[in-house]
Amino acid sequence: MIDVSAVRRLSRGALATLLIAAGLSAFSVSAGTLDEIKARGMMNIATEDDFHPFEFIQDGTPTGYDTELVKLITANAPFKLHQDTIPWAGILPGVTTGKYDMAVSAVLVTDARKKTLQFASPIAESTTYYLTKTGGTAIKSTTDLNGKAIGVEAGSAMEKQLQALDAKLKAAGGAGVKQIVEYQGYPEAYQDLALGRLDAVVNTQINLEALIKEKPGVFAMGQPIAEPVYIAWAAAKGNDSLIAYINSLLLAARKDGKMYELQKKWLGASFESMPETIQ
Amino acid sequence: MTGYDVYSIFKGALSTISLSLASIALGVPFGLGCALARWYRIPVLSPLVISYVSVVRATPAVTLALLIYFALPDVGLSLDAVSAAILTLTLSTGAFNTEIWRGALMAFPRDQLDSAAAFGMSRAQSLRLVVLPQVFHAALPALVNEMTLQVKSTPAVAVIGIVEITRAAMRVGARTYDPLPPFALALVLYSLIVSAFVIAQRTIERRREIAGRPA
Repeated sequence: MIDVSAVRRLSRGALATLLIAAGLSAFSVSAGTLDEIKARGMMNIATEDDFHPFEFIQDGTPTGYDTELVKLITANAPFKLHQDTIPWAGILPGVTTGKYDMAVSAVLVTDARKKTLQFASPIAESTTYYLTKTGGTAIKSTTDLNGKAIGVEAGSAMEKQLQALDAKLKAAGGAGVKQIVEYQGYPEAYQDLALGRLDAVVNTQINLEALIKEKPGVFAMGQPIAEPVYIAWAAAKGNDSLIAYINSLLLAARKDGKMYELQKKWLGASFESMPETIQ
Repeated sequence: MTGYDVYSIFKGALSTISLSLASIALGVPFGLGCALARWYRIPVLSPLVISYVSVVRATPAVTLALLIYFALPDVGLSLDAVSAAILTLTLSTGAFNTEIWRGALMAFPRDQLDSAAAFGMSRAQSLRLVVLPQVFHAALPALVNEMTLQVKSTPAVAVIGIVEITRAAMRVGARTYDPLPPFALALVLYSLIVSAFVIAQRTIERRREIAGRPA
């Protein structure tokens, strides 16, 4: 049901570049192993700047779930953090080319990504939902998405899930989605939904609930369109020592409940039944 | 939008202006050098310029920025984000400036060069005293046009973490879920910056008109 060849969220222009970068990374120095990071006393991490509530900028300072969680777990680590806040398009190329040791970003785990990335222990669970405007909508369930215009971020895992849903609707004898409208970022898609240019937008439940909380009365939560998937931080493929160390910190934060506290604070729910590792 | 949001977009404008000015200050003379290399048909350099212009003109600035920032470290050249941004924008505008200068040079009557040589001028003298003053005048409108496009292509380097006007506005919109006010402010700021270039162009042209008037 979930098309696992999905890349989560990536503009189409940047996709080609990612391929170039991935090709170049074949002969690149790999990102810092745990020993290298300890030796330089610094872990280079990349975080997004517009993926509320996971990561965003408040009064010029990066904040959100990922930023607070990484600060919490590395408080006693034998190295400091160097955090670059960049748009999504630069995050995964930065990790595969070794510019960053880890993407401390809400990366949806897919099989395609496992080929070039090593995922840490999951930090959240995500199910993709559709969102409509409040009041007067004709959409009551996923089958009502037949013949509707739906917005999604270009190149995202959610887009692949929407395409899979479209195929499923058509297989069931429906008209399918009228149009999948691709956006470079979600703020613009929400705006178009509010303006009535779209009938629905699909994104993760966490993002949509944060939106509804921030703009009450405008949008209404719909139904899930796909199976749940995990969200995890990612290092370059083969960087086992770093992943093992980060996993130990993440699992400790789950054991003492601090990760769940942050989840409740930022994501509005806690995910206590997630697996300990992703392979 | 909070007061800080407005401040952050103005800060983005500073970054847009400095990146544009830096890349224009480097890219305009660089383009002239490249165009002269082709005009004088300098061996080795001339074909190099041809390939540079064709590659860079075919490459979106975003792609160029990602390549310079993430791929150059693989060959041992690790730049910080600001240097990588200036290099990207300079290479990008330089290619277009090359073609603008070349167009102006092609329109330049070569027999003036022969006349200059007949007066005993060296190549450098004829270039400085005869060619450049006329070519500059012919190229100016197209150069300023490219400068305004350059201002508007700065958002491309946001991908490597530079926060210019558009990115600052997007960050605000992403937090408030209300992208209209920050983008309206961004539009106003871009218009102001571009009009500064256009006013500068008009001033230069008017002065030259007055200077060129018969006494």
